[in-house]
Amino acid sequence: METLVYLARRLAQALVVILIVTVVVFCLLHALPGGPARGILGPQATAQQIAAFNHEQGLDRPLPVQYVYYLGTLLHGDLGTSYTLNEAVSRLIEQRLPKTLVLTVLSALVGLLLAIPLGMWQAVRRNKPADYVITTLSFVAYSTPVYFLGLVLVLVFTQTLRWFPSQAPQGDTVAQVFADPAALVLPVVTGAASMVAVFSRYMRAATLENLSEDYVRTARAGGARQGAILFRHVFRNSLTPVIAMLGYYVPVLFGGALVVEQLFNYPGMGLLFWSAAQSSDYPVLLGCVLVISVATVVGTLLADVVQRIVDPRVKAGRT
Amino acid sequence: MTAVLQTAPVEAVAGYRLSLRRFTRNKLAVAGLSVVVLFLLFCFVGPLLYSTDQTHTDLTQVNLGPGAAHWLGTDAVGHDELGRLMYGGRVSLLVGLAAGLLATVIGTLWGAAAGYAGGWVDAVMMRVVDAGIAIPALFILLVVSAITTPDTLGLIVVLGLVSWLVPSRLVRAETLTLKSRDYVLTLRATGGTHGRAITRHILPNSVSTIVVAATFQIADAILLVAYVSYLGLGVQPPKTDWGGMLSAGLTAAYSGRWWLIVPPGLAIILVVCAFNAIGDGLRDAFDVRGRG
Amino acid sequence: MSARVNVPEKVVENVLEVEGLEVTFTTDTGDVPAVCDVALHVRPGETLALVGESGSGKSTVALAAMGLLPGNARASGRVTVDGTEVVGAGEAELARLRGRTASMVFQEPATALDPLTRVGAQIAEVIRNHRTVPRAEAAREAVELLRRVGIPEPERRASAFPFQLSGGQRQRVVIAMAIANSPGLLIADEPTTALDVTVQAEILDLLRGLAADSGTGVLLVTHNMGVVADFADRVAVMLRGEVVETGPVEEVLLRPGHEYTRRLLAAVPRLVVDEPADDSAAPAEGAAPVVQLRDVSVHFGRGRRTVRALQEVSLAVRPGETVGLVGESGSGKSTAARVALGLVPSAAGTVSLFGADLGRTRGRARRALLSGVGVVLQDPVASLDARMSVGECVAEPLRMHRRDMSGPERRARVAEVLELVRLPKELAGRGPRELSGGQRQRVSLARALALQPRLLVADEPTSALDVSVQQTVLEVIAELQGELGFACLFVSHDLAVVQQFAQRVVVMRAGRVEEEGPTMTTLLRPESDYTRRLIASVPVPDPVAQRRRRALSRTEATA
Repeated sequence: METLVYLARRLAQALVVILIVTVVVFCLLHALPGGPARGILGPQATAQQIAAFNHEQGLDRPLPVQYVYYLGTLLHGDLGTSYTLNEAVSRLIEQRLPKTLVLTVLSALVGLLLAIPLGMWQAVRRNKPADYVITTLSFVAYSTPVYFLGLVLVLVFTQTLRWFPSQAPQGDTVAQVFADPAALVLPVVTGAASMVAVFSRYMRAATLENLSEDYVRTARAGGARQGAILFRHVFRNSLTPVIAMLGYYVPVLFGGALVVEQLFNYPGMGLLFWSAAQSSDYPVLLGCVLVISVATVVGTLLADVVQRIVDPRVKAGRT
Repeated sequence: MTAVLQTAPVEAVAGYRLSLRRFTRNKLAVAGLSVVVLFLLFCFVGPLLYSTDQTHTDLTQVNLGPGAAHWLGTDAVGHDELGRLMYGGRVSLLVGLAAGLLATVIGTLWGAAAGYAGGWVDAVMMRVVDAGIAIPALFILLVVSAITTPDTLGLIVVLGLVSWLVPSRLVRAETLTLKSRDYVLTLRATGGTHGRAITRHILPNSVSTIVVAATFQIADAILLVAYVSYLGLGVQPPKTDWGGMLSAGLTAAYSGRWWLIVPPGLAIILVVCAFNAIGDGLRDAFDVRGRG
Repeated sequence: MSARVNVPEKVVENVLEVEGLEVTFTTDTGDVPAVCDVALHVRPGETLALVGESGSGKSTVALAAMGLLPGNARASGRVTVDGTEVVGAGEAELARLRGRTASMVFQEPATALDPLTRVGAQIAEVIRNHRTVPRAEAAREAVELLRRVGIPEPERRASAFPFQLSGGQRQRVVIAMAIANSPGLLIADEPTTALDVTVQAEILDLLRGLAADSGTGVLLVTHNMGVVADFADRVAVMLRGEVVETGPVEEVLLRPGHEYTRRLLAAVPRLVVDEPADDSAAPAEGAAPVVQLRDVSVHFGRGRRTVRALQEVSLAVRPGETVGLVGESGSGKSTAARVALGLVPSAAGTVSLFGADLGRTRGRARRALLSGVGVVLQDPVASLDARMSVGECVAEPLRMHRRDMSGPERRARVAEVLELVRLPKELAGRGPRELSGGQRQRVSLARALALQPRLLVADEPTSALDVSVQQTVLEVIAELQGELGFACLFVSHDLAVVQQFAQRVVVMRAGRVEEEGPTMTTLLRPESDYTRRLIASVPVPDPVAQRRRRALSRTEATA
């Protein structure tokens, strides 16, 4: 029962956030030069066409009313039509989003699987040379623009060593993406690198904090060995703040996906967005922004739910 | 008065001196500081010692590798790469610093207001922040650039407006903690105004959090500028910055002209790394809670 | 109870033997010696209390005995636990010792347990650390241990998480973990300091029973002389890292030899329990109260998780009198004080300050009203903004309400109040970080008195201070009240302190006023059962009297 109440409250919060996003997108739509009419009809539209469009769409009505209409169209799943590709934006996104999700989720998984043990190991070896080396490497990885890293990887692994191709799998469906695993390696590694850097730092910090907690002292006083304490107690307690961070990292992952897709020519939402930016295809641009934001909010919600499952205190409302 | 047993003083060394000592003992942080200083000198003083022409093209000097006349070679229109690195650096650093500071200022004001007000005001303000965080910065920047191409000042403003969200959460958390400190409670209980509590106690005690946040914001801003310029939306030629240099040199890199991308790439990495190391060092020295 | 699991072949005389122990800490600011040449011993079945104030090194000795000193500590000397040498022993050997030969119970139950593991599992872990016992068997033993330490419904409670238990129950779980393998030595470092006084009495009873049953030697580290009188057979007094006096508890507590011990005992506020009631002069009955709460209720939170912090609480403080507000944690005493200060809004009832309704007064009138109040809170570190000098801290009320004062006038007043609280006026230029806890509280007091308040609200002003320092601060408050005539609302959990300084006392429990009246009458002839139990739980530093009280309470319980 309490879980349902909690879920309801979080959903309501998420809806408010999404609503604010739609307001932002709506404002952007109206900030376009020539107004949304030009944005939708394209730069070739004549003044007459624009006027007709405006009247038809009710764009001469007050803004709040337009916003309500806008929300209405959104709820119908209508995100407009791309005028460079002449297809409904929602269909384009439908086609591309799953592939981006595959890339993002894979990068995230690889990133976490590396970062969590690494961070814990660093905490145990605090201030020893190994810790410094990995910390420095983390800083470097975190400070490297994703495209630069991708570029270097391509130069080394594709041009020089010829291990992996420089283009990501070009399929239309998710199945086709997985049919060429070698081509996935470089894009996933590029996407995961920054995540490893960031999350290993978080895990290190969380582990260090937990190592100095009282319950570790109690466990030691009971005769537990360092290894047992680490894995039986510290690990789970350190995961909680890291999971919380995951929710906030989702938009960063999507931003990285944009660059990775562009670099490796991966036919996902990021590449779609990138091409649309080149050709000023506003419906696509704004539709993508909306969808990505909703995906982020959902991601944060999921992270919250996971945290609730892992940490019984969150359920009871105290930490 | 009889001699009374007193417990030892809480901190024999004054706060700032202890923080300074802790900072200087952090080798990475000190290294970072030196790197930043070196680059500032390189970019702003360098051209005075090594002057090159960055506005006129010289098609006789196109695509040369590193050599005696041009230490880092030349680009596709004959500009000297080393000089370009210096001038590009000016833009990268300037925009990064300004945008980072702007983001911190906006974030601080928003976060402090939300944290101090509490209640539904806080909830609404933080939902706005959540919404802002939900939209990846790069996406918004691309949309904005599809609408207009900003000049340097516009670029700073846009970057600042996109990045103020993270510092606002940090400052809000700090404000919440400080709001319930005993000395603030005492002030309120004896008739002190909200204004006094904020200006005399909460803000001065938030300085360490704000400074750490600012440092990380500058690092992020420089990186963001690099992304924006790489995607073709930053400063326009003949002006350039490091990100733009990377974008311009991309195709060249595939054909082996490494000198066009390695120097700017390394420069970005070093400077951003340096600011991150400084921020990390400051955070440990001030004993501030983690970022994000 | 069954004999110890590990019966050595050679009978070792002492379960704990310490000789020539020295411990030095390496810190940011240099080497700090914590323990110098300490020698003591604990025999099987006896309880040795290690007493001292903060900085005495008593906790360090306890940690050294378990090999649990932090990484930046260097220890030398000899510490033998049941025949095993601890100083210099390897981690593997120490792990074998901890939880089996010697166990430790720590001060803070709130953080002592892993928040994500069920308590039964944590106890079972200690069992399986030292004995190869199948999981199911260990779980059963854990339940038995929970029963032994007095947790009701142990089968069900074993699957609870620590946050679902109260502080006292968590401490019982820690004790269960400590006795799981029947150790020869039990070290308890301030085991009851973080607990309410009634819970403290129960936990001490438990420890006493367990020790008696199994012949375990106990090293009890504490600063509370009452606990010592209640529990210990022998006492060792520590000062600045050295043991200054040792002996049987009656000797040391009733006929102290060393000067420090004498001073320490003299500074302990003693609860008067068997003198005839002697009411101090009744306060001016007719005068209007300085602050008054009438049927005040306070709620925190919403819906299912509403906490009713106060329920229809009424109390009043008249001019010039001190009212003591006592109660355990969760009683609402701090909330009541905060309501009186206008920091917490009341959901129902009225709060009047100097005759005006605080709930209805706003803006400048409210600020003017509050300027007549002085506040001293509990935490000496957080009560002063470390970024301001002492002088600036004290001058703040002057800046807020007396804009007409010039700089030199303000400085003069600051010097004046600093002298009132017996602090040198040169302290005005220093920073709070350079002061000790007692000095900080006195600066806090000086700030509270800067505007000559008519009411001083003190919320546990001395609870975070050492006992000897506490005495000075309380004396200063009492003296100044006599001189300046302000009324005082004194919140405390320490009945002895309240008995000393308050003319009237209000006993609170679970958000309601349990009982109130003139201090001596209420505390010596309480009307409610709860108050009686509260007083009976407070140990006095006289072992003979304490034994008598315990016997009395036992006959009362069985009657």
